[in-house]
Amino acid sequence: MIEVEHLTKRYGAFTAIEDVSFSVPKGHVLGFIGPNGAGKTTTMRVLTGFLPATEGRAVVAGFDVFEDPVEVKRRVGYLPETPPLYRELTVGEYLRFCAELRDLPRADRLRRVGEVMERVGLRGWERRVLGTLSKGYRQRVGLAQALLHNPPVLILDEPTSGLDPAQNVGVRELIAGLAGDHTIILSTHILPEVEALCAQVVLINKGKIAASGTMEAVRAQAAPAYFRVSLHAAGVEPAAVARAVGALAEVKVVQPDGEALRVESEPGVDPRPAIASMAVGRGWGVRGLERTIPTLEEAFLSIVGREGA
Amino acid sequence: MTATFAILKRELLTYFVSPLAYVFLGVFLFLAGVFFYLGIALTGEASLRVMMGNVSISLMFVLPMLTMRHFAEEQKTGTFEMLMTSPVSPVAILVGKWLASLTLCLLMLLGTGLFVAILAYYGEPDWGVIATSYLGLFLTCGVFCAGGLFASSLTDDQVAAGMGGIVLLMPLWLVGSASSLVGEEWQARLDHLALLPHLRSFTKGVIDTADLSYFALLTFGFLFLTFRTLESRRWR
Repeated sequence: MIEVEHLTKRYGAFTAIEDVSFSVPKGHVLGFIGPNGAGKTTTMRVLTGFLPATEGRAVVAGFDVFEDPVEVKRRVGYLPETPPLYRELTVGEYLRFCAELRDLPRADRLRRVGEVMERVGLRGWERRVLGTLSKGYRQRVGLAQALLHNPPVLILDEPTSGLDPAQNVGVRELIAGLAGDHTIILSTHILPEVEALCAQVVLINKGKIAASGTMEAVRAQAAPAYFRVSLHAAGVEPAAVARAVGALAEVKVVQPDGEALRVESEPGVDPRPAIASMAVGRGWGVRGLERTIPTLEEAFLSIVGREGA
Repeated sequence: MTATFAILKRELLTYFVSPLAYVFLGVFLFLAGVFFYLGIALTGEASLRVMMGNVSISLMFVLPMLTMRHFAEEQKTGTFEMLMTSPVSPVAILVGKWLASLTLCLLMLLGTGLFVAILAYYGEPDWGVIATSYLGLFLTCGVFCAGGLFASSLTDDQVAAGMGGIVLLMPLWLVGSASSLVGEEWQARLDHLALLPHLRSFTKGVIDTADLSYFALLTFGFLFLTFRTLESRRWR
């Protein structure tokens, strides 16, 4: 549904994104993550036809963004980082304006405005002036605007920024409900949200793709799985325990991790049986041997580095 | 068409839910009233000739203030991004905005109908001349609105857009005032460029295709420049 090939955007000497490629199959939700200034918004602006790319190609909903921008715009719902609201209009006036701008058939306009208001939880807010709304409600109006023409593709730039936890859950449920019928690119800083919603992730850093693929692949690529090993060896120095574990052929790295040890192995090698039989052989007790998959957050930090954190 | 009309409606709504339209109508009608009184008091004619000339100069300063927000504000608040990601051509957006400011001008001109009524009550105005005067003034509004829009498309700062619009339009006036400094041969040429001589034909009751083309060309020129600026913003 969305194909991005070798996209590069330069502003003069500054390169905002460089050689970005990814694709999103129909009905999937792609999590687009990366630190501030990494190029997420630029990429989304290129996909919506707001900015042209310097190089590369993007096909959205079957149309080339640079050759058929109008056809692409008909099929994309876009929520920019700041909801694009006219402060002096009411919610109803604004959404009716958007419906006309999207050229919805006259007979459908009011019905669609009512439907999307219902869907994003704005029922009864029709006469409120946009400038007086709280951040959460502005975000909802922004979402309503993006959904108005029932587009097959949704591009949402930080739809949950500035929302309270309850509103966050609401937006997350809304997006989960939209997946399947809609192909969605979701940019956000809230990584648990990506883990909850997205099967696919693109991590962009300094304008380049740093990791992409399924959630598991990205996590594994960023930081290999490791094992938490907790042994009970009465009267033995913790350092000696660590040395004993580290001496095993299956084990690559051993680090103390609180009371336990953090053990890394070569990819695909499970050191747990060896550790267990070694411990049993020495008469040590085994409290725990668990495989830990890094969270997306750990993956993010290991790729992006901690300078911004 | 739908989009142009949608934008026209939205702009008018914005004018009238904010104090903007009322302030403009008030200020303009006050100025026009002063010039109307002065025109009658100084010449003793039952005509709008003096008022029209002076009003056109004041519009040169007033209209850029009206049009300055059209693009500048949208660029600042981010609504421009929504417009440009809607399946709408920049021409539709531009024309919608221009028609909106022109509609407000029409209301301003309608407001001066009171002065015409006063003329008709106390004297015997030439209705043909009054009609052509209004046509000329309306065409002038078209030029000034287009110029103001062009200035607004150049920046996301409203004040800069307003001042820029005034500076952009002033040569149309100044070139006429300065023409006497450069000798007769050049004076005639420069007078063709100035706005007031062209408006003067209308206030004398003459509709000349040369004057019509002058106004049409300037309006179209400014709108075209605005269109190019909007297009180029996407490429910078």
